[in-house]
This record gives sequence, C-alpha cells and structure tokens, in this order.
Amino acid sequence: MDARTELWSIYREALPVLLVALCGGLFSGVVLEEVVESVARFPGLLVMVPVFLATRGNVYGALGGRISSGLHQGLIEPRFAWDERLVNAVVASFVNAVGISVVIAVLTRIALFVLGWESAALAEFVAIMLLSGVLTSVVLIGGLLALIFVGYERGYDPDNLVGPIVTTLGDVFGMVFLLLSVLIVEVIA
Amino acid sequence: MAVPKGALGSWDARHIVRTMFPLLVVLSTVVLAAGITLEDAEALLAEYGILAVMVPTMIGTGGNLGAILSARLTTRFHLGTTEISPTDRVLWANVGAILALAATVFTALAVGAYAVGAAFGFGLPLPTLLVISLASGMSVAVIAIVFSLATTYASYRLGIDPDDTTIPIVTNVVDVCGMLVFLGVSGIVLGA
Repeated sequence: MDARTELWSIYREALPVLLVALCGGLFSGVVLEEVVESVARFPGLLVMVPVFLATRGNVYGALGGRISSGLHQGLIEPRFAWDERLVNAVVASFVNAVGISVVIAVLTRIALFVLGWESAALAEFVAIMLLSGVLTSVVLIGGLLALIFVGYERGYDPDNLVGPIVTTLGDVFGMVFLLLSVLIVEVIA
Repeated sequence: MAVPKGALGSWDARHIVRTMFPLLVVLSTVVLAAGITLEDAEALLAEYGILAVMVPTMIGTGGNLGAILSARLTTRFHLGTTEISPTDRVLWANVGAILALAATVFTALAVGAYAVGAAFGFGLPLPTLLVISLASGMSVAVIAIVFSLATTYASYRLGIDPDDTTIPIVTNVVDVCGMLVFLGVSGIVLGA
C-alpha cells in the first residue's frame, strides 16, 4: 500500500475513538474545575487526580482485554451469568481497583510529606479514594461488561470497543465519583 | 489507555491480582509525578479555570497516541518486520498519522475548551487556547512517537513481548510528560 493511503487509513480508523475520548475528557475537565475549588479544604488533593484517572485505564483496560479475549476464544458467554471465569475476572478487577486506590492515598501522603508541602490527613485521603474507588469500579465494571456484551452480540469486535469505552467511562465516572466523595468526606470530617 | 496483558491467560482472581498489582503500584508511583506538578500549579488552575477543563484530555491523549503507535509497531514486529529504518515508508506513514491525529484532536480540544469556557463564563480567547493546546499537544505527540519507537524496539531486542508491560509503561510515562509540558507551556503563554 502507498504510504499516503496507509497514513489516511490509520487516521480514519483511530480518529473516532480519540474524539469520543475527547468528549469524555472535556466533561471530566468541567468536573475537575469543581474539584480544584475543594483543594483549600483538602490540601494535596490534586496530587491524586492524575494517578486516579490513569489507574482506571490500567485496571479496566486489562479487564476489558481479558473479557474480549475470552469471548473470542469462546471461554465466556456474552451475558451476565454466575460463570466462574467471569466472576474471577470481575473480583480481580474490583480488588485491584479498590486496593490501588488505597495505595494512591498512602503514596500521595508520603510524597507530600517528603516535599514538605501542606497536606490533609491520611484518613481523609484514604476515605476519599476508598469511596470513589468502590463507586467507580461498580459502575465501570457493570457498564464495561454491558457495553462489550451488547456490542459483541451486534457483531462489533470487542477489541476495538474496550479502549474508547474504558477511556470515556473512566474519565466521566471517575471524576464525578471523585468530586462526590470529596463532598461526602467534607460533610463527615 | 493502557492495557496490561501479563495475566491474560489466567482466569483465577488471586493469580490476576498477584500478577497485576505490583505493576499497578509501579505505574501509580510514576504518574504521581504528574499529580505533584498539578498540585504545584494550583494557583494557575484557580486563576484560569479553563486550564483545569483541559487537564484530563491532556493527560490521556498523549498516552492514547503512544498506545496506538506502540500497538501497531508491535504487530509489525510480530509479523516479522524487525528493523527500524529511516527509508521505511510504512513507518513514516504511521508517524505521519499520529501527527495528523494529534493536530486534529488538539485543535478540537482548544475549540471544545473555548465553547465550555464561553458557556460557563471563565474562558480565554480562542487564539490563546489554540497556541497552548497545539504547542503542548504536538510536543507530547513527538515525545509519544520517540518513546514508543524506542521502547518497542528495545523490548523486542531484549526479548520481552511489548504487549505485556511496555505499552502500559509507555502510556503512563507519556501521560506524565503531557501534564508537565501542558502546565509548562500554559505558564509561559499566560506569563504566570
């Protein structure tokens, strides 16, 4: 294939995904703008934001990749059922997502201590991360599986769905639940 | 958009967690650098709220571009094209496509942020947003290209399947670069 033709075919293939991700990104940006206003109450909060967002991709991208391979290999059925493989994959992502959320809170507190910057209490960071981690994983695991199953039934290759679904849902729900958790912990603490 | 596939063959929850969790901790530590930069720029973000609106996309897009290129290069390696040569036309087609995608997405980001800013009343002029978005976006695209080429090639040479660990590392490192470049460029353009 001629190099120029190849260039535009890659471009056309990848652009829709990136534009969908852009919409999700802009929405979560508006939510982040709200989070910035809570920073005075929880100094150091912003340190956790990029890590929290990046983790969504790492955890649920892996889950999506596994489910997608499982469907291709005929190891799992495209429906919500008490299937041992499906349950194991879901439990593993939940444990990874919630576990890493707590690690992020601890790492953030340590980084702020080392830098000598002002910081909210460790318990507040852990509460915010734990709450947003649990809420995000329930919605993301459910939403990701539902969209992959529906897409697969309609003849889409799940490999092409996982990336954009994870990026967009992760950005949107990750930020919304982060803001919600900040507001809840603000009221309780 | 990082997709670690180290434990893909396994359907045992304990095994998946044991394989993936250490990698997640390492990646979180890397991305923490982006968070520290963000916290450091809090005054800038509080003054120009529209920059906060652009942050999630700036974090994600560089990594997405790196993931697309790495995945394509990896597939070529698996199919037997194992040399990176300056006369390789397909390689240049891939690099050109990434740059064209970056130019499109970061123009759209500036326009989108301008629209959001106009709707919420905390915007910056469109030309300023275009300069910030394209200057930082195209720099990140170049970083993503160089980093993807280098790590995919290196991991292939070292006998590691790039699908396993290289792609998540590339995307997370490029995410951090996106954050650093974006806040640096914004600071310079806005004279803060």
